[in-house]
Amino acid sequence: MFAIARALAIGFLALSVVYICLWQYFRAGKRERLEHELDGQASKGERTQVIEAKMRDYTHLLKRRLILGVYILPLTLISVVIGLTNT
Amino acid sequence: MRYVKWTILVTFWILVAAFLHYTLPQHDIARITDTEVRRVDPGGNSWFWASADAGSDGTVSNRDVFFISVVRDGGSVMVYRNEDTGWGWPPYFKFDTSNLQAEAADLRSTAANPQWVVIKHYGWRNEFFTIFPNALSVRAVDGPDVRIFPWVNIVLLTLFAGAFWAIYIRWRRFRIARIDPVLENMGDGLDSVGDHFTRCRNRLRTWLRGWRQK
Repeated sequence: MFAIARALAIGFLALSVVYICLWQYFRAGKRERLEHELDGQASKGERTQVIEAKMRDYTHLLKRRLILGVYILPLTLISVVIGLTNT
Repeated sequence: MRYVKWTILVTFWILVAAFLHYTLPQHDIARITDTEVRRVDPGGNSWFWASADAGSDGTVSNRDVFFISVVRDGGSVMVYRNEDTGWGWPPYFKFDTSNLQAEAADLRSTAANPQWVVIKHYGWRNEFFTIFPNALSVRAVDGPDVRIFPWVNIVLLTLFAGAFWAIYIRWRRFRIARIDPVLENMGDGLDSVGDHFTRCRNRLRTWLRGWRQK
């Protein structure tokens, strides 16, 4: 039991580091693209507002995708490997 | 300086290659000649032994390990250990060691009447350190000339190369955009400090020369 707990804890920590890195990376990239898109198209206040609104939508989507990709996918893979190895 | 850089790079990639070669699964075509249990006392080579079976006491230093002896299709012999990898590294999550031993014992054959099998394993055999590859599964095949396509290795190595490349080009872009200019500035700064020193030294020399001439 201790071994499972340890493996899960280490795995969770490692995946969390990956999650945080990807989270920051994708958000920074999206913000930069949005800023670039709206360059000179709107007034400054309007621009910030539009960017913030779009970032909120994007954040929602990104969170769902990252949880699926970073936590659920590896866990599924591990389950498949356990199943395949031990039959 | 260039030699140092290349030595470090080459050493790093040799270590990566060795690590992958040890960890990734490989297939041997062989004929099982014996299955047995030996007591082992891992010492300096304990890195190359897995842990005790999942759920059992892992604190005792010596334990019994299953072994599978085979003759490979080329005629050379090979001995595999058969141990749980459990929840540890490498992540094969193998818990069915005893079942595998039963399957291997069932597939034993003689040179006169061979039953060929494919043994999936990872690890190295090294006589000098007494280390053995760990068998992961056995499967009976018709003859010694069956072809095995290493799908798992191809997928994993492609993913590994892709991940490495993705991180590497991002790091490069980051370095060119953010770090190199700073270093250049610092270099300019150091140069100007150097210039200052040269100027001071020259002034001192002229002054000294002036004294000597007096």
